[in-house]
Amino acid sequence: MARILITDDAAFMRMQLKDILTKLGHEVVGEAENGHVSVSKYQELRPDLVTMDITMPEMNGIEALKEIKKINSSAKVIMCSAMGQQALVLEAIKEGAKDFVVKPFSPERIQESIEKVL
Amino acid sequence: MKLAINMEKSAQMLLVSATKNAIQNVVPLNLAIDNPRILGQSLDIQYGVLIGMTGDMKGKLVLSGDSDVFGNIGEVMFGMKIGDEMLSSFSGELGNMIAGGLSSQIYENGLKTDITSPTVLSGNTTLSGFQRALHIPATFERAGEMGIYLLLDAFKGMR
Repeated sequence: MARILITDDAAFMRMQLKDILTKLGHEVVGEAENGHVSVSKYQELRPDLVTMDITMPEMNGIEALKEIKKINSSAKVIMCSAMGQQALVLEAIKEGAKDFVVKPFSPERIQESIEKVL
Repeated sequence: MKLAINMEKSAQMLLVSATKNAIQNVVPLNLAIDNPRILGQSLDIQYGVLIGMTGDMKGKLVLSGDSDVFGNIGEVMFGMKIGDEMLSSFSGELGNMIAGGLSSQIYENGLKTDITSPTVLSGNTTLSGFQRALHIPATFERAGEMGIYLLLDAFKGMR
């Protein structure tokens, strides 16, 4: 079981991810609605894994990924975004993301990603 | 002049095709698309979602329809009824996923774009001030009709 922080500006997607992750036996220790909150909650909660949307107000997911990596260079972050362009995927991986899940996703795709990363 | 018209038509065809593909990749329902129409000076909306697009294509993608249509789509996608408190968030995310898919599709044709966070429009809203606009009428089987609007301010020629 992993302790997971969910980051997405859409409450609906946070609810969906929480449902999937809980059913997979993980504990959702926090939710963040933008990158800024995610970085702050990462510092406070030190989760095993972070799911990170990209297009968000205040601070986007790529910037938040960079900030989290400054706090802990071995932080495990999975990007979950509707934007699946190759250049964006490569940028996220270059900045240290462990995987990139394109929305819409299935529970199986989330499970596969978590098993790969943990 | 003829070259410019051909370029315009091919750009329009690319956008319509990419939008259709993006919707079909997101919504698991049979989709019927009518011929796109050029829209006039303004767009009136009762319920919908707007996503800004920047980069090589500057403009907005707007999805407009009855809130029940968005709810029906959500129910099919996630296997549960979308409650009133989550409908707005789901509608925004549906727009985000379709705009993200559109952005990814046109990236394959050399157009680099980014999208903004969605804005959900509820109540009487009039959008105007765009350079040109395409209306793509769409019907989702078992969910209902939705207007897809591409409000374009600038569109870089295809490479």
